[in-house]
Amino acid sequence: MNPATVRRRGLAFVAVLALGYPLILSDYIRGLAADGLIAGIVVLSLVLITGFVGQISFCQYSFAALGAFTVGSLVGGHHWSFWLALPVGVLFAGVTGALVAIPALRLSGLFLTILTVAVALFFDRYVLAPGTWNSFSNGNANWDVGRPAFLGLHLTGSYAFYLFALGCFTLCALLVWNFRQGKTGRVLRAIRDAEVAAATLGINLTAWKLAAFGVSAALAGFAGAIGAASIGSVSRGSYDLVHSLGIAAIATVMGVGSVAAGAAGGLFYVFGPEILRHTPLSTQWFNLITGGLLIVQLIVTPDGLVPDFQQKLGHLLHHRQAGVGTAPDTVGAGPTAEAAAASEPKAATEAIPAVRRP
Amino acid sequence: MSLLDVDGISIHFGGVQALGGVSLEVHRGEIVGLIGPNGAGKTTFFNCVTGVLKPDSGSIRFDGHDLLPLPTHARAHLGISRTFQNLQLFGGMTVLENLMVAMDAFSHRGMLADAFRLPTARFEERRAQEHAWAILHFLGLKDRAGALAADLAVGHQRRLELGRALMSRPRLLLLDEPAAGLDNKETADLAGLLLRIRERFAVTMLLVDHDMALVMRVCDNIYVLDFGELLTSGTPSSVRQDPEVIRAYLGEGVA
Repeated sequence: MNPATVRRRGLAFVAVLALGYPLILSDYIRGLAADGLIAGIVVLSLVLITGFVGQISFCQYSFAALGAFTVGSLVGGHHWSFWLALPVGVLFAGVTGALVAIPALRLSGLFLTILTVAVALFFDRYVLAPGTWNSFSNGNANWDVGRPAFLGLHLTGSYAFYLFALGCFTLCALLVWNFRQGKTGRVLRAIRDAEVAAATLGINLTAWKLAAFGVSAALAGFAGAIGAASIGSVSRGSYDLVHSLGIAAIATVMGVGSVAAGAAGGLFYVFGPEILRHTPLSTQWFNLITGGLLIVQLIVTPDGLVPDFQQKLGHLLHHRQAGVGTAPDTVGAGPTAEAAAASEPKAATEAIPAVRRP
Repeated sequence: MSLLDVDGISIHFGGVQALGGVSLEVHRGEIVGLIGPNGAGKTTFFNCVTGVLKPDSGSIRFDGHDLLPLPTHARAHLGISRTFQNLQLFGGMTVLENLMVAMDAFSHRGMLADAFRLPTARFEERRAQEHAWAILHFLGLKDRAGALAADLAVGHQRRLELGRALMSRPRLLLLDEPAAGLDNKETADLAGLLLRIRERFAVTMLLVDHDMALVMRVCDNIYVLDFGELLTSGTPSSVRQDPEVIRAYLGEGVA
């Protein structure tokens, strides 16, 4: 089997599992799965900014809060339709992300990370503070958003909403995957690997960094808005620095260069504490376990668990073919190159195309 | 008319003068050498031309454009391309991707076209791939297309960087010590390659290197820098015989 067939069958298997398995699960577990996929969208936003650009962000849930609050305020407070409020929230989060990135243009590495911590703390202490919250929400503890209807179907049922969350996640995963395969992924990774060289090739560093931060924040804002619909209401909890730190740690453990890690990370983020609840350990152990996993992962498989697993699975499935070793979904060795290497176009053997300038 | 016209550029780092009023002219189709001992300011000069550094005074004109107000990426779009003394490849990307991204930098499509795989994205993707393969073929790197750039041997990495600089079909190619880390045979191959590149791509070159055999063989004109100032300039044979150059740089045995 060649890698493309393996990938196609793998995706088909995952699709059948994702659509079918929840049918035999309880409403409660379906709700958790939907929330896991929504958290997965936040992980995808980190894939873009950390996996591609190489910058760590500890304020993704602040952007999610912007999406959620916009939807909460417009739907709950001003009786907008959810579908009108959604793009407004996404846009608001995206623009804020790009604005936050402006000081970030002069910073990199650790300093930029600290800036994102500062943003998250600003949200914790000011935007999410009871005083600010009450002045926005007219004193209500939360905004009622309710569940929207999609193409005439009311998404109140647990399976219907799960499917909706799955669709949203798939859409975002496809976006990030297409970015990775195309110009966007190459340009951003080039900036990550050698910024000066990227600039001398003609890449506008400012524009691309702002765009990457903006789109990443917009994805997080999208997750926040969908999350508001999932809970049915928006309150000021669950968007603080600790959540952003947690999701960043999980994204790193799962493999921040991998699109599949989005689903794995999100589901782990939601089901991890849930599983702990049924053991003698309390859910408070979850962060400790994540931290321990992070240390082990950084030593054992620096690229993350999911790319490592994919690579091992790939080897297992076509170990007879020599020389096919690269992971199918890691940022470094993309299938573009594999596929291209397998199908070199005829033009290569012809002469170099004519020179453009005299 | 000269393609690159540098007039009296100076730059200081703290109290140290890195370049003191250096003027240099490169004409179309020429290969011009810039030589000098370590610390003479050769790489600083390149950084001024590409916009990584901003000179304190002087002017740099390229094909009639004043370069100084332009940021680095805009200079690339005018047709200036470079390689680096300490290789600056995109190590986590494949050889093919390293080349394709140089073409991406010149395409106008944004993230939206990528996100939804619009026809422009697919068309440009294919064109970038074909062009990258043509360059790989020219450089003899076809069998390494799928390898990570970081995994290549140094000789291949130098070639890849050269190829990446050629992807955008530049008019002026700045080569910063392309022979560093190469053995004698590889350096001889490089000299042949540079001459073939000039012929094939109609590109003008400004070459910094320590390897005298390479510089003397391929350059039409040579400028000699010492402590940030221009010592002399001229054809390879006149520079070779200049007593000041011999004293400052080439050493006793070379003349």
